Amino acid sequence: MASERRTPGSQTSLREANRARIVDAIKKHGGLTQVELAGVTGLSPATVSNIVKELSAGKVLHTTPTTQSGRRAQYVTLAHALGLVAGVHFSTRHMRIALADVAHTVVAEHHLPLAKDHRADNELDRTTLLIADMLDNLKASMNEVLAVGIAIPAPMDRKTGTIAHSGILRGWDGIPVAEVMKRRLKRPVFVDNSANLGAFAELRIGAARGKSDAVYIDVGDGIGAGLVINGQVYRGFNGSAGEFGHTTIQENGPLCRCGNRGCLEAIAGGYAILENLKPTHGNLKLNDIVTKAMGGDAGCVRALAEAGRHIGVAAANLSNLFDPERLVVGGELSRAGEILIGPIRHALERSVIVDEDSMPDIVQGQLGARAATLGAVAFAIDRVAIGPNDKVD
Amino acid sequence: MTLEAPLAAKHPLSKEPVLSLRGISKNFGAVQALTDVDMDIFAGEVVAIVGDNGAGKSTLVKILAGVHGPDAGTIVFDGRRVTIPTPAAARALGLAIVFQDLSLCDNLDVVSNLFLGREVGDFTLNEEEMEKHSWTLLRQLSAKIPSVRIAVASLSGGQRQTVAIARSLIGDPQVVILDEPTAALGVAQTAEVLNLIENLRERGLGVVLISHNMADVQAVADRVVVLRLGRNNGDFRIPDVSYEEIISAITGATDNAVTRRASAHESHEDSNS
Repeated sequence: MASERRTPGSQTSLREANRARIVDAIKKHGGLTQVELAGVTGLSPATVSNIVKELSAGKVLHTTPTTQSGRRAQYVTLAHALGLVAGVHFSTRHMRIALADVAHTVVAEHHLPLAKDHRADNELDRTTLLIADMLDNLKASMNEVLAVGIAIPAPMDRKTGTIAHSGILRGWDGIPVAEVMKRRLKRPVFVDNSANLGAFAELRIGAARGKSDAVYIDVGDGIGAGLVINGQVYRGFNGSAGEFGHTTIQENGPLCRCGNRGCLEAIAGGYAILENLKPTHGNLKLNDIVTKAMGGDAGCVRALAEAGRHIGVAAANLSNLFDPERLVVGGELSRAGEILIGPIRHALERSVIVDEDSMPDIVQGQLGARAATLGAVAFAIDRVAIGPNDKVD
Repeated sequence: MTLEAPLAAKHPLSKEPVLSLRGISKNFGAVQALTDVDMDIFAGEVVAIVGDNGAGKSTLVKILAGVHGPDAGTIVFDGRRVTIPTPAAARALGLAIVFQDLSLCDNLDVVSNLFLGREVGDFTLNEEEMEKHSWTLLRQLSAKIPSVRIAVASLSGGQRQTVAIARSLIGDPQVVILDEPTAALGVAQTAEVLNLIENLRERGLGVVLISHNMADVQAVADRVVVLRLGRNNGDFRIPDVSYEEIISAITGATDNAVTRRASAHESHEDSNS
C-alpha cells in the first residue's frame, strides 16, 4: 500500500501527471466519486479534491452531488456540455461501443464478445440497454445523445438500408438497422460498413491523416477495405464499394461465405487461417494467433505471412487501379505488425506497376481494434453537424 | 499485457488435458445424478457445460469442488490420478470454483473477502501487503472496482462477480470453474464478466463455464459439453456448431452422432473382449 500511496515525482513536476492520472481513471471507470478516485489513483483525497475543482473550472470534468454509504459525495465524470454521440461497432465476434462528446473525446467505452452468427434482434436489444446503462453511469440522459453511428461488417445497400448481399452476416439479413435503432432510441441513427468507418477514423485521427488518397484494409475474421479518394470515403453507386475481401484471386479456389469461389477472404481471412492451423494448433482464436506469432511460434508466423502474401497480391491490383498514397492495415490481425505487413509489402512491391519512389507506403493502423468504433463516432458527429434532416451522402 | 507473457509461458497450450474425468457416476439414493460422464479440459481453453435443469451440471461441479465424492470413475489432474475428498483438497490441487451465489461476505470489504481464510501476516494482519496484492490482481483482470476498501454489499453484480473470480485466483490455480457467472447480471456487467473469462483464458488457465445463456456460451467458449439426464450428450467445438444443434442436444431432440458412434464402438470392443 505504501508504494501505491506515494506520489511519484517531485513537488513541482507531479501536478501534470496527477491530473492525467485522474482523467485516465475517470475515462476507465466512466464516473467515480472523489473518495473512490483517491483509492484508484493512490492520490490523497485533498489532492484529488483540488485537482477536480481545478479541472471542473476548466470544463474538463463535471461534478454532480450524490450520496454514498449515507454520506454526501461528489460524483465526477468527464464534461460533455455539448451533448454526446454513441458509436457502435459490430464485428463478427465482438461488439464495441463508445460514447464521446462532439470533440471526439471518448468518455465511456465498452467491449463485449459476441456469439458466432449473432442475431440482429438480440444484439440491438443489448446495444439499447448498454447505451442506457452507460449514459446512466455518466449521469446523462438519452436526450443528450445527438446521434448514434453504427458500423456493420457487411456491405450496406444505400437505398434500402439493409445488408446488400445476403449470407455475409446471416443473422442480420433484411434488417434495416438504422430504422430499427431509430425506433428504439428515438435518436438519429446512421449506419455504414465497418471498413468504410475504419477508413474514416484513420483518415480523421489515425494513420491516414492528411492523405487525400488512401486505402484502409481491415484484416480480421473477414477482409474489407475502405477507399479514401480526394479526402473522402468513397462508397460507390450502391454503397458497397471496397469489398476487397471478395475480389477473386484464385478462380477455382475454396468456397467463400458470399457464395463465390476463390475470394481473398476465403484464402487469407481469419476463418481460413484458423482452419489451416487447426491440425497443428487445435482450437485457436484470432488473438491467440497474433500472440503466438509474436512469441515466435513458427506455424502462426507462417500462416500470417502466407495470408499477407495473398493480401499483398490483391492490394497490388487495387493500387494499380487507383494509385493511393498510403495503405493502412487495420483489424484484429494487424496487431501482428510486420509479421503480417512485411509479406504484404513484399508481394505488393513485386506486382505494382509504378516505380519504387511512387509506390504507396504500407503502415499499421494507429487506432487498432477501435478504428471502426471511433469511425462510427466521427460519422455520427459529422451527420449531426450538417443537420439530421440533410440527405446522407 | 506485461503480466500475460510469463503467465502464458508457464501454462503452455499442451496436448495433454490439465483435467480429465472418466466414467464419473454419482447417485443420491435412488436418484442417478450422473452416469458415466467423461470430460477433458485443456489449459488455455474455455469449456462450457450446458444442460437442462437436473442434467447434472451442478453435481459435476460439486464433485470437482470436493463437496461430493463420485461413486465411480477417475479424475486425472495434471497427469496424476487424484481424489478430491474436501474443498480444501480441490484448492490445494489448483482447482478454483466460483459458485453461483459467489459466497462473498457482504459486510466485509474487498480485501478481506479476497484473503478470507488465507490472511497474510504472522500475528497481526499485513493489511498493506494484502491491499497491494488485491490491486495487482484486480488490475491484471482489468477490473473496474472503484475501491478495495468498500464493503462488497455496495458493489454491483458484475463487480461482485469480479471479486469472486479474483478471489479464486489467489492460490494460483490451473483450472477455474465458474457456475452461472452471468445469471442475474445486466448487459454491462455481463460484458465485464465475459471479458474477464477471455482474460483468464489468455492467461493460460483452463476455464469451465456453466451457463444457461447460449449467447454467452457461444461468445466465449472454445468447446461445449452437453449433459442430458446425467449423461454426456455431445462435445462440440464452438466454431463447428450452430445454436440449434446445441439446443437439440440439450433437449434430446437429436441423439448426438459422436456419442452414438462412441458407444457403438465401446460395445463392439466389449463384445470382443
